[in-house]
Amino acid sequence: MVLMVYVCKIFFCRFSLGDARRPLHETVVLVEDVVHTQLINLLQQAAEISQLRGARVISAEDLLFLMRKDKKKLRRLIKYLFIRDYKSKIVKGIDEDDLLEDKLSGSSNTNKRQKFAQDFLNSIDQTGELLAMFEDDEIDEVKQERMERAERQTRIMDSAQYAEFCESRQLSFSKKASKFRDWLDCSSMEIKPNVVAMEILAYLAYETVAQLVDLALLVRQDMVTKAGDPFSHAISATFIQYHNSAESTAACGVEAHSDAIQPCHIREAVRRYGRKIGPLSPFTVRSRWAASVVTIG
Amino acid sequence: MDQNNSLPPYAQGLASPQGAMTPGIPIFSPMMPYGTGLTPQPIQNTSSLSILEEQQRQQQQQQQQQQHQLFHSQTLTTAPLPGATPLYPSPLTPMTPITPATPASESSGIVPQLQNIVSTVNLGCKLDLKTIALRARNAEYNPKRFAAVIMRIREPRTTALIFSSGKMVCTGAKSEEQSRLAARKYARVVQKLGFPAKFLDFKIQNMVGSCDVKFPIRLEGLVLTHQQFSSYEPELFPGLIYRMIKPRIVLLIFVSGKVVLTGAKVRAEIYEAFENIYPILKGFRKTT
Repeated sequence: MVLMVYVCKIFFCRFSLGDARRPLHETVVLVEDVVHTQLINLLQQAAEISQLRGARVISAEDLLFLMRKDKKKLRRLIKYLFIRDYKSKIVKGIDEDDLLEDKLSGSSNTNKRQKFAQDFLNSIDQTGELLAMFEDDEIDEVKQERMERAERQTRIMDSAQYAEFCESRQLSFSKKASKFRDWLDCSSMEIKPNVVAMEILAYLAYETVAQLVDLALLVRQDMVTKAGDPFSHAISATFIQYHNSAESTAACGVEAHSDAIQPCHIREAVRRYGRKIGPLSPFTVRSRWAASVVTIG
Repeated sequence: MDQNNSLPPYAQGLASPQGAMTPGIPIFSPMMPYGTGLTPQPIQNTSSLSILEEQQRQQQQQQQQQQHQLFHSQTLTTAPLPGATPLYPSPLTPMTPITPATPASESSGIVPQLQNIVSTVNLGCKLDLKTIALRARNAEYNPKRFAAVIMRIREPRTTALIFSSGKMVCTGAKSEEQSRLAARKYARVVQKLGFPAKFLDFKIQNMVGSCDVKFPIRLEGLVLTHQQFSSYEPELFPGLIYRMIKPRIVLLIFVSGKVVLTGAKVRAEIYEAFENIYPILKGFRKTT
């Protein structure tokens, strides 16, 4: 658990708004906990599916299968795989040593991951929706929002801050693969994930952190009651919850880091997401808001 | 334009002290930004007209700022026309669609250096790789790993992959001539080993160049405004991958200001691509 605190901390640096460069320790620990739980759940579900297939390792197919209900998330994952392939192809051509390495390894790596994903989805796709994703060129709203947020943040930074920001952005779970593996504690499981599956898991962990931060920022925004809000008279049960949470904000000990995300924001975000409890809740698309959230756990 | 010079600064926005509506500046002057006839100067006048102008001026300033941020490339590269007052705003082009425009400006003064050239040639005869591997110096051959002989020479410092079909790939040269020279040397080695090697269809397949713009670049801004061309996933790769359409070159742009260009078949494409990207990069210069 502690291994990932450092990485999470740095992640927060990049995601948090404005000048919250030092995220709260409690928040980081909480996020790590949430991500860990989510991933373990996902792994277990994937293990079950592998067993059904009669396979000995958890492969990317199992993960893709689990995510088949959430189109947006799946599309983002596929785009990520595509970019990964593309980047390998480009970087390979730059350095002659890389070129040699690639030739020696003998495999035609171009678009390997994406092709693989496409083939698999082809096999499970009955309505043609999944395959349509590959041709789909819609703008990913969540990604767009993140890009805009990053652009706003970086515009006001100075060179030193920006250098730090860039460095923190480059961290990922896939860089410290062995640490990631240990953190997930796969040794206790019978069926272990293979290399590609680990890549996807690392990406999902990263996405979970990103989604949590997106949601926590939304929650924080909502907590601030706006003066001219026309809907303030239409109080729903959830709004009352906000007020309760707002009080607990004070109890949370709002320190000097008023810009940093508090653990209560994270908890509220997770609570809102997990409102419907049931065996199939992670796989039902409840609303546009919920649909954009990570579909694991 | 002379009348602009003769008017005192405070009165440039007004045709006459009585506050007539027509500004004293010709509206269709090429110097004026679209749609406004005012210069952004502090006007101390308190008449109702000046309040209106004040609003318009603020709007225009805001517009300028917005345009300034998004379309830096157009504003920074045009110099003020001779005879114009320095009090005029620099001429702004209207909101253009987000494509990498090639402004008619001065060149960057930086020349990308070629780092790697990949070329192919057909030796025109079947080769026995085992013989080559055994008798040539600096050759390695591992048929289980890869079905080609890997040969290296020191001058020009290059590596060649020689296939049994007679085709050869030559990599590592720093210029087109060096690549050709190296390929010829490899062909001669094969010839000396007893094969009737020729030198057919020599072709440069890929050229890689790199340079440094010497200022830090704010990649988040670039990826947002040039979305159709760029992809930036810092957790995957620290550089922004920019796919330029014309010429068809891929650029890797790093925060430090280093730029790598690849995918060119001729040297001119690399130079052209860099000249295209340089003003755009200047627009996203990270100032302290």
